[in-house]
Amino acid sequence: MEIVDVLLKYWPMLLQGFEITLILAAAGFLLGFAIGIPIALAETYGSRLVRWLAIGYVELIRGTPMLVQIFLLYYALPQVGIRFDAITAAILGLGINSGAYQAEYFRGSIKSIPSGQMDAALSVGMKLTQAIFSVILPQSLRLVIPAWTNEIVYLVQYSSVAYLVTVVELTAVGGIIGVRTFQYVAIYSIIALIYLATTIAITRATRRIELQYAIPGFTSSRTFRI
Amino acid sequence: MTGYLLRVESIHKNLGGKEILKGASLNMHRGDTKVIIGPSGAGKSTLLRCVNLLMRPDSGRIFLDDEEITGKHVNLSHVRSEIGFVFQHFNLFMHLTALDNVKLGLVKVKKLSGQEAESNAARALRDVGIQDTLFRNYPAQLSGGQQQRVAIARAIAMEPKIILLDEPTSALDPELIGEVLRVMEQLAQSRTTMLAVTHEIGFAKNVADEIVFMDDGVVLETGTPADLLANPKHERTQRFLGKISELYGVKRTGA
Amino acid sequence: MNLQFESILPYLLTGFYYTTLLTVGGLALGFAIGASLAFAETYLPRPASTVASGVEQVLRGIPLIVVFFLVYFGLPYAGIMLSPTVAAALGLGLRSGGYQSQIFRGALESIGVGQVEAALSIGMSKSSAYREVLLPQAIRLSIPAWSNEFTVVLKDTSMAYAIGVAELLKQAANIVALTLQPLEIYAIVAAIYFIATLVVSRTMNTAYEKWKIPGLGGGAR
Repeated sequence: MEIVDVLLKYWPMLLQGFEITLILAAAGFLLGFAIGIPIALAETYGSRLVRWLAIGYVELIRGTPMLVQIFLLYYALPQVGIRFDAITAAILGLGINSGAYQAEYFRGSIKSIPSGQMDAALSVGMKLTQAIFSVILPQSLRLVIPAWTNEIVYLVQYSSVAYLVTVVELTAVGGIIGVRTFQYVAIYSIIALIYLATTIAITRATRRIELQYAIPGFTSSRTFRI
Repeated sequence: MTGYLLRVESIHKNLGGKEILKGASLNMHRGDTKVIIGPSGAGKSTLLRCVNLLMRPDSGRIFLDDEEITGKHVNLSHVRSEIGFVFQHFNLFMHLTALDNVKLGLVKVKKLSGQEAESNAARALRDVGIQDTLFRNYPAQLSGGQQQRVAIARAIAMEPKIILLDEPTSALDPELIGEVLRVMEQLAQSRTTMLAVTHEIGFAKNVADEIVFMDDGVVLETGTPADLLANPKHERTQRFLGKISELYGVKRTGA
Repeated sequence: MNLQFESILPYLLTGFYYTTLLTVGGLALGFAIGASLAFAETYLPRPASTVASGVEQVLRGIPLIVVFFLVYFGLPYAGIMLSPTVAAALGLGLRSGGYQSQIFRGALESIGVGQVEAALSIGMSKSSAYREVLLPQAIRLSIPAWSNEFTVVLKDTSMAYAIGVAELLKQAANIVALTLQPLEIYAIVAAIYFIATLVVSRTMNTAYEKWKIPGLGGGAR
């Protein structure tokens, strides 16, 4: 049957595409992490101006489609002389987008830590930065792990938009094979299954990490990509 | 040189549009144990939080060891490291073991070496009756009484000049209150300077050098336990004490 | 920066029209699918509930673009010829159905079982209890997350670009091909999306404020 034929013939190409997908998702997540934490801290502890800028960033990014953001990076910036190759543009787009959402997750988890923790830290004589890094962040990072699962899964799925700026990730490979074989349904079914399996694997893995780093007695709760 | 370790002069504090403290004043000598009592809303907790600068007073001055801590250029974290604070809801660092909870301040604020911090922390924990076997437990694995004693250890390990306690037993189940009061009695007997807000009148009677009655944002009356409890001068003091003895019955000791 | 607004406006309006069409269609279909799945997962016995759970996971585990391709290329095999627009709405609906199911499930689960027990104890029938007691609360609790889903679907319509639907982003690309000013055009389009999501969130927020149950949470933004 067609699916098996296609699979046997084209699995190297699928594998390559899958690799690119994973690279995009991973790089996007890390970039998002690097952006998200500072923004969350800025939103929670910053001065009025800093807070305003951070909130502006988050609202702007979350209020526009990721695809439009990537288009701007790849197709529009060259107009003012900034040129990114397709993969860089895709990773930047994913990362900047993810950063805004991760910032909100962190902010939420920081907010959910009882104010008594900060009170106690300050009362012992810690400075604000010490209190944030020694008391607040260790707790909020653990609380945010379930939201991270969601975020990584989202990035794996949304990496498919890189296809539309010519990155040859998994979905793009589907198009290439489809044009050659016309077995569109077969190939996209395989690709769908690959994404699905990846999603499940990631969820399982992060669940294990969550359990390993859990603080006895501390609970975490599921969050949506809000 | 006034000889007072703590001087609180006419503190005013507004919270959310409402004036909570309306000129509260208080003095303490080194080694004193004072207990603040009063109806809810009187501003007792607010006053305590102003003393350790968790809140900044709107007006009025506070002096620790004759140095003004309400000035403009005061090093907040330094002052707070010299004032111990025990919270009603313990506020232990949830992500750290009991030992690490007490160690954190020693390492980060007093900059002690890991070893020194660990032995000081262990000593403080043993002083409050926490056995070594509990050192590696997390807060959620400790009873309320144990958590609060760890919190007290955290405060005393910093070797502060004064310890403030904000209703330290109000969040505890009745059978656990005793163990915390015993620790507080110990501290008082070792001449630690303590200022506590509490409803435990028995403790106040047995241990305090002076009882401070606060109502409506000011210190209304002070006196030794014998004087104040037996012969309260103000009508509101009498009323409050009357309600308390109704509620708690005649005798409630800290032991 | 010289744009002739008169010439690009018709494109943008057409694009916005299709975007709206896709959003509404996708959300509505998603609601139907999501509500059914959530109900099946929470109240039906196995195997129905496990099947529903599996369907939900599948719908949430596949990227939207791949769903679009599967629908667009797949349905003709079943004899159904669809225009790209309908295929896109269908795809959006399927994906949204998976996420709305998760939202409704969360709301249903957070309503204590005691509510329905209480209703039954005063003599209500099961269906009555669900209708009068469970549903009103579930709907109110879902509003914050659902309004978020609204904006997600709105933004995801841009991916219908992949199968050539004449929605906003596609129109923008067309304009750019003519005017060669990608920065201005895409920035304008980004602004349109931004305003649209803002309007949606604000409206849903005011609706939530009006209808929410006093004292009960719901995970407001």
